[in-house]
Amino acid sequence: MSNLRVIDIIEGTSVDGPGLRTSIYLAGCRHACPGCHNPQTWDFAAGRDMTVDEVMEIVRRADFDVTLTGGDPMYQAEALLPLARAIKAAGYGLWCYTGFTLEELDAVPGAAALLDSIDTLVDGPFVADLRDPSLIFRGSANQRIIDLHAR
Amino acid sequence: MIQTVVKRDGRVVGYNEEKIKAAIRKAMLATELGEDEALINKITDRIGSRGSERMTVEDIQDLVELELMDSPRKEVAKRYIAYRDQRSIARRAKTRDMFHEIIEAKSTDVTRENANMNTDSPAGMMMKFASETTKPFVDDYLLTQEARDAVRHGYIHIHDKDYYPTKSLTCVQHPLDRILEYGFIAGHGESRPARRIETASVIACISLETAQNEMHGGQAIPAFDFYLAPYVRASFVEEVKNLERLYGEDFSDMYEVVLKDFEHRDLDGLTGRERVMQHAVNRTVSRVHQAMEAFIHNMNTIHSRGGNQVVFSSINYGTDTSAEGRCIIRELLHSTYEGVGNGATAIFPIQIWKKKRGVSYLPDDPNYDLYQLACKVTARRFFPNFVNLDATFNQHEKWSPDDPQRYLYEVATMGCRTRVFEDRYGEKTSIGRGNLSFTTINIVRIAIECMGIKDREERIARFFSELDRVLEIAARQLCDRFDFQKTALAKQFPLVMSKLWNGSDVLRPTDRVESVINHGTLGIGFIGLAECLVALTGKHHGESDDAQRLGLRIIGHMRSKANEFSERYEHNFSVLATPAEGLSGKFTAKDRKSFGIIPGITDKAYYTNSNHVPVYYHCSPRHKAEIEAPYHELTRGGHIFYVEIDGDATHNPKAISDIVDLMDRHNIGYCSVNHNRNRCMECGYEDASKDLRECPRCHSTLIDRLQRITGYLVGTTDRWNNAKLAELNDRVVHE
Repeated sequence: MSNLRVIDIIEGTSVDGPGLRTSIYLAGCRHACPGCHNPQTWDFAAGRDMTVDEVMEIVRRADFDVTLTGGDPMYQAEALLPLARAIKAAGYGLWCYTGFTLEELDAVPGAAALLDSIDTLVDGPFVADLRDPSLIFRGSANQRIIDLHAR
Repeated sequence: MIQTVVKRDGRVVGYNEEKIKAAIRKAMLATELGEDEALINKITDRIGSRGSERMTVEDIQDLVELELMDSPRKEVAKRYIAYRDQRSIARRAKTRDMFHEIIEAKSTDVTRENANMNTDSPAGMMMKFASETTKPFVDDYLLTQEARDAVRHGYIHIHDKDYYPTKSLTCVQHPLDRILEYGFIAGHGESRPARRIETASVIACISLETAQNEMHGGQAIPAFDFYLAPYVRASFVEEVKNLERLYGEDFSDMYEVVLKDFEHRDLDGLTGRERVMQHAVNRTVSRVHQAMEAFIHNMNTIHSRGGNQVVFSSINYGTDTSAEGRCIIRELLHSTYEGVGNGATAIFPIQIWKKKRGVSYLPDDPNYDLYQLACKVTARRFFPNFVNLDATFNQHEKWSPDDPQRYLYEVATMGCRTRVFEDRYGEKTSIGRGNLSFTTINIVRIAIECMGIKDREERIARFFSELDRVLEIAARQLCDRFDFQKTALAKQFPLVMSKLWNGSDVLRPTDRVESVINHGTLGIGFIGLAECLVALTGKHHGESDDAQRLGLRIIGHMRSKANEFSERYEHNFSVLATPAEGLSGKFTAKDRKSFGIIPGITDKAYYTNSNHVPVYYHCSPRHKAEIEAPYHELTRGGHIFYVEIDGDATHNPKAISDIVDLMDRHNIGYCSVNHNRNRCMECGYEDASKDLRECPRCHSTLIDRLQRITGYLVGTTDRWNNAKLAELNDRVVHE
């Protein structure tokens, strides 16, 4: 099983979805959106390798619903699948942020399978001109909060 | 013949004529003719032999003046008098400097001791003069030598020392039903029993206000929903009767009609009696809403204590499941959500949600909908906080869901955190009781003094023996204050000691309060557990299991000692996790002076609040809960669990309920969520950004940045003292 490249795991944030959540920041992103909040996460070599078990230990300890963010987790979609399944099997809700649109994800390897384990997707690149701080859990107005169970 | 001299501070010492000689000599040396040893001896002899046996310093100086005036050296008399005046001014210089600080409305730690107080107003200044000049009086005449020394050397802090001479008690939870049903007399007016919601809400306000002037701490209502519910029904009946007159029909069967909820509904499509009843309901709901709005508004605008302070008020609610009680809760929450005036956040009262499984917390609970609303309100307005009726130590064996008076057995808290529940002299209840006085122990100082001991066991043993010594002093001091307080007459506290305090109804105005005040608690507080543990082990309890074990041992020990004191002195002693607004920097400044800057201990302007992990320490809310929870059981005099959350809480009310879940899971007693909330005073724009200086919408710089300090809110940090400001700047979000 391949390792995950993780920049950081935040236990108990309130900005990445409803409630307090464990946010897993995955390394690497090629969207390069102008005005990106944290460009240091674009680097695929940032952070450290972690196994699914190591991540799950933290998820269980924190005991909150989980959000995959980054970077863009979809670049590691195949590697993330076992983690996503483990999170769901443990009974936690799962959100995922991506710079791809839901439609674009059809062409991303492993994304379709990963989406099956995700409850809610926040999709689309950050567009600085559409930035609006009053948006809930999103940076710019083009981004969508998609309930994947309702598809 | 003078034998003894009474000094200015009241101490009596043996007469020493050399002191008089030195003073006369000094005056002579300042004149052209200089010193005259023979005259000095002559005057001194005469005074020594003619003076009475015991004389004050001032009386002796008067004699010296008279002798010099009678002598050939009148110019020496002049010098001597001038010298006396200078000394006397010098002695008052400290008072003078302090007066100037207050007069010039300078912002200093003297004037910002209490962020809820406006010391710039005339009444505020007057009170500050009194407060500052009273403290030395207490030191000199009301404290024992050991207590005075312990205060002076920074081992203990006596809270509300300026009120000590007044014999006032700290706080009380108002049994508002007694006031509402029987009326009361305050000032020049007699209030009749309430008959409608508007009156009831005003009487609630007057009760809090009146008692605030009779005590030195906060005022709270323990079951706001239960108390006001009957007046919702009374107002509804009033509305029905109006409609009876209008229609000329009899609707009297509606008076007692059982409703699931008092909720506003559109009249369209309704006809006949159904329409009449819904109209009465709608009118009632809107009156309740207005009454709640007025209550909140009054509590934020009407000043007490000579006009410098709004009442430090709190209200507890959430467990009344009747349609009437739910109407009170709902409209109170709606009104709080809307804000006061142009929509600003109400600073008072502190609101506290009584969280109880089966009633006001779980999805199937009758008040779950209102709990959800409460979370939404606190996300925007910081209140309500949450008190956990399910915590093992907050439960009451007599509580039963069918008992209409079950609120008597529900714990209620002062917003600041003061908790009064167990009573050695009566039924366990929060109502009609309160704290009598608090004294806080500087456990950091005790720990610093043991730091030099190399051997760990020896060091910790030494700490505990020193802690015991200071605990004994604190207990004796609290008992002494109790013995002073009990001599007060009931008439000194006209409302508190006739209606509010349990047992006071049988007191005559000239009776002493002695027979009833033992229902109150004596609080032994502590501050800076984190720094104390760093001194003893090198780490604080947030970062080390070993430190946590010791921390629990220390506070557990304090609790055992408090129980022991309760037995020994026959009072209700309890341990308080001290909020310490005025105190957060005082101990630190003193300790730094004694011991210098010690990393992790005295290197900040403040000591960490009670048992909290340091505000600058990064950790998850869950970790914070796990570390701090066990202290709640030990600190029966009051405690609070704070979580700082990132981001805009109004976007995420579930984050609030997740924190309440932490409280539920970890057996925490009382909790509150801190977050950022800015509001443009010009256009009403609101957001949650950190430290907003300019409104992004209208570019105004009049921004109200809400923060919480020792449990209550302040819209401006101008009145925060330096230590508290330093603490605020160090606060990190828990994630």
